[in-house]
Amino acid sequence: MAKVKLNTPAPDFTLTDYTGREVSLSDYKGKKHVLLVFNRGFM
Amino acid sequence: MAQLRQDYEQFAERDTEVLVMGPEDAKKFQSYFTDNNLPFTGLPDPKHRVLKLYGQEVKIFKLGRMPAQVLVDKAGMARFMHYGHNMSDIPSTAEMTALVDELQAELQVSTSPTTA
Repeated sequence: MAKVKLNTPAPDFTLTDYTGREVSLSDYKGKKHVLLVFNRGFM
Repeated sequence: MAQLRQDYEQFAERDTEVLVMGPEDAKKFQSYFTDNNLPFTGLPDPKHRVLKLYGQEVKIFKLGRMPAQVLVDKAGMARFMHYGHNMSDIPSTAEMTALVDELQAELQVSTSPTTA
């Protein structure tokens, strides 16, 4: 499985947050840095 | 996650949004985020769409998926990534905020007005 390469555009994605709001990585482009945290699970 | 919550302000001060993805469904996300008063954006990804897109290592055995973090700058470029090799293999907030400070410094250089 290919991993993301450094210093290349991060793959865009859209997910619906737990409140029902659609969130895309590209929403933050030009506005904020984004820290993506891939959590292993809460339990 | 508790550590990240304590440190959220440090990211917010640095123009950095924290998006947390995980395999749980929206209901579990909601109860976890509400119970723990988490200020981040919580993105349920039960089909592992983004997890796969970003190539998170998937372990079939009982330890489950390993933690991973990716820092994306304002231009949308992946600038740092960390794939955990075990459950506690997570970079510290100090390391992450230092990286964000570097990104901020770069921006200031590239956007500062040039004297004619």
